Amino acid sequence: MNPFITATGSYLPARVVSNEELADKIGLTPEQIFKSSGIRQRHWASPGEITSALGQAALKNTRVSVEDVDYLIFGTMTSDRFIPGSAPAVQAALNLREVPCLDIREACCNTLYGLQIAKALVTSGLARRVALCLAEVQSAFLKLSPAAGTTSMLFGDGAAALVVSSQREAGALEIVDVHLATDGKYVDDLGIRAPGSEFRANSEPQDFEPRMNGQSVILQASRRMLSACQVVLDRNSLSIDDVSWIVPHQANANLLTQLARGLRLQDVSKVVSVIEHTGNTSSASMGIALDTLRRSGDLKQGEFILMPAFAAGFTWGAALCRVV
Amino acid sequence: MSLPQPVIEFLNNNAASMGVPQVDMDLDLFKSGALDSFALVDFVTVLEEHCGIRVPDAEVIPANFRTIEDIDRYVSSRRLES
Repeated sequence: MNPFITATGSYLPARVVSNEELADKIGLTPEQIFKSSGIRQRHWASPGEITSALGQAALKNTRVSVEDVDYLIFGTMTSDRFIPGSAPAVQAALNLREVPCLDIREACCNTLYGLQIAKALVTSGLARRVALCLAEVQSAFLKLSPAAGTTSMLFGDGAAALVVSSQREAGALEIVDVHLATDGKYVDDLGIRAPGSEFRANSEPQDFEPRMNGQSVILQASRRMLSACQVVLDRNSLSIDDVSWIVPHQANANLLTQLARGLRLQDVSKVVSVIEHTGNTSSASMGIALDTLRRSGDLKQGEFILMPAFAAGFTWGAALCRVV
Repeated sequence: MSLPQPVIEFLNNNAASMGVPQVDMDLDLFKSGALDSFALVDFVTVLEEHCGIRVPDAEVIPANFRTIEDIDRYVSSRRLES
C-alpha cells in the first residue's frame, strides 16, 4: 500500500524584498525582473535566521506531534554548516527522539528525492512517520551586482515541511509514484562549486557563488520536466486530462507557462504558482506551493496532483499524488 | 528565404504577443523581444519539425538565431551536415 502525505506546512521569513528594492543594485528595472521571471518579491532571512530554523518553523506549522516522528529528512543546499547537515539541528531544537537524521542535497529536486526516500522507508516498515523538511537561506550566497543580476533576482528564502506516514486519512495525499533521473554531464551548468574538494586548492571567489548557464538550464528543464510528467502518466495509465493540479518546482514563471504549453493544458489555472510572491526558493518551492494548494481548500477527493521538478546535476523527475 | 511558413508564423505570433509589430530579415529577434531564452526552446522544436533538421543542445544559443538571416544560414548549414 502506498504511504500518504498526511500534513504540510510552510514558513517564509518576515522580510520582504521587492523588485524595486533590488533593481538598482543588480542593474535591472523592476519590470525587467518581473518580465523575465514572473517574480515581484521574495522573502529574505534576517541576519541570524538560519536554514534549520526555517525548517523547524515549517515543521511546526504542520501541527503534527513531533514525538511521533521516527525519521527526519532535511533537504537543502544552504545548510547551516558544511558538516553536519541541518537535520540534527532540527532534531535537537524540536526535542525529537534520537531518530535517524538525513540531509539530502539534490537542490530543487529535494522534495521529490525526499518523497521517494520517505515512501521507501514507510513502505518497507523502516519508519512509520517521516518528517521531510525543505528549507533554504539563499540570500546569504547572492551577489548583488549587475554581473550576477539575472541569477540574484530569482532566489528567495523559505521552508516547507511534509509528513509522510502509512496513515490513510481524509485530505491526505497518497504518494502514488515518484520518478527520478539524472544526467551528470551538465554538472557545471548549474550549482555552487566551492567548498567542494575539487576546488579546494584553486578556488576563485566566484566558485562560492551560484553559477548558471541560463540557456542550458531552460532548454533541459523544459524538456526533462515534460518527459518526467509523461513517464509518470504513462506508467500509471493516465493522461494529462486526468490530472487536476500541477505543482511544479517554482523556478521561473516563464518556465511554468512553457510547461503548461508543453503539457497541452486546456486550463492553465491547474498550474499552482506562488513564485510571484516568493521567488525561487529551490528545495522549498514545491512544498510551499503544495502547502498553499492544500490550505486553499480547493482539493477534492480523488483528484490527481502531478509534481515535476528540475535541479542542478542535472537531475529531474515527477511525483504523482492522489487526494484521499 | 527558404524558411517554411510555420517557422515564420511562429516568429510573427511570438513577436505580436510581445508587442513587436513585424519581423523582418535583419531584425534582432532577441533585442526586439520577438524571442527570448524560453521562446527559443519552443522555436527550436518548430524549426526541427518543419525544416527536417536536428539542433544539438549545445547549439541552442541566441547567436545562431539572432535574425531571420542567421536562422536561414543555420538551417542551411545543418542540412549540409546531415
